[in-house]
Amino acid sequence: MALTKTPSNLELIKNGIFKENTIFRLALSLCPSIAVTNKLENGVLMGVAVLFVQVMVNITVSLMRHFIHPRIRLPIFMLIISGWVTVADMTMAAYAREAYKQMGLYIQLIVAFASILARAEMFASKSKVVPSMFDGIGMGLGFLFSLSIISFFRELLGKGSLWGYAILDAKPLLIMVLPAGGFFAVGILMGFFNWLSLRYEKKM
Amino acid sequence: MTGKEILKITLNLVVIYLIGGLILAVVYAKTSPVMFQKAALEKEAALKKLIPDADAIEKLGDWSIHEKHSEYFVARKNNAVIGYIIQSFGKGYSSYIDTLMAVDTDLKVMKISILGHAETPGLGDEIETDTFKNQFAGKDTEHLKIVKTETADYVQAISGATISSRAVTEDAVQNGIAFLIKTLKEQDGHGTNKDTE
Repeated sequence: MALTKTPSNLELIKNGIFKENTIFRLALSLCPSIAVTNKLENGVLMGVAVLFVQVMVNITVSLMRHFIHPRIRLPIFMLIISGWVTVADMTMAAYAREAYKQMGLYIQLIVAFASILARAEMFASKSKVVPSMFDGIGMGLGFLFSLSIISFFRELLGKGSLWGYAILDAKPLLIMVLPAGGFFAVGILMGFFNWLSLRYEKKM
Repeated sequence: MTGKEILKITLNLVVIYLIGGLILAVVYAKTSPVMFQKAALEKEAALKKLIPDADAIEKLGDWSIHEKHSEYFVARKNNAVIGYIIQSFGKGYSSYIDTLMAVDTDLKVMKISILGHAETPGLGDEIETDTFKNQFAGKDTEHLKIVKTETADYVQAISGATISSRAVTEDAVQNGIAFLIKTLKEQDGHGTNKDTE
């Protein structure tokens, strides 16, 4: 950070969505990207939940970075992550019951996401609050974007519907909503994004 | 590592974890009463939805299945019994499925509803869809069986979620009705059936 020019907030957001996209570029948090993406609705809700937790965790870690002894930073990051997840879980259970019924299954899973811990460790623990927040927004948006694309194709191909509404009459590829289909979807999309970025870099 | 450093690290960890624990305790104390209150209201509304004709739904008693506490209710209209509502649990793929079922006086299912579960999102959670739940209407214990092909007489399993479908049908609902039959028989034996008096 000290040697390179400090990136602008917009660059930080772009970085999270494209250059360091959690799933397609860093290959982190692949577990949820397969587990919850067989419906577009699930993918989007999970993405939104992660976006929230990622931003809050990045801000908290950045604010506390001078009070954390480097040797015990990991258990403390875990506390911050699980703390925010639990706060979100309990608040939604009390005040947003409808949304909680949809998202409750996923919220607690976020505790174990490598992507959130990775950003706390690689970015927020070394950066000021504002850049950390924008890094969190970028990373969260990138995750949301990836899960939306994966679940879009999986639901459309596997169930012939989108967001629960029937689009096609048939179920062209039932395997897409099953766990194996998750691997296919993530693999093919990751290959596609790698190909895109190769082309993009050549032109530069 | 010197002793002083160990002490410093320990203190650092203890302080931060204590603060974290305190924050969570405060949030829990603030949110849990609201949560329990709303959950109770939702249960009441869910009961009413199962037998909308009823003008009174009273709790009859408690029972337990899979070591979980359940309740059962009687629904009346103009003081005549028109049906029963039983809460039951079925052992699913990754959770116990909390189920409510309304049964008419002929012991046929009127309607079921799923109160809670933690089945696989996208597969097992399709037990909540109307397509699955509507299959139960009008079926008696003979026909509450899971089949994997298209059927009108039995209950069709959700593709990719046979275990969850079976848990609702052959575990929760079947056992709930079996319990009701047993309880009603015992009541008749004591001659407490008010409707015939």
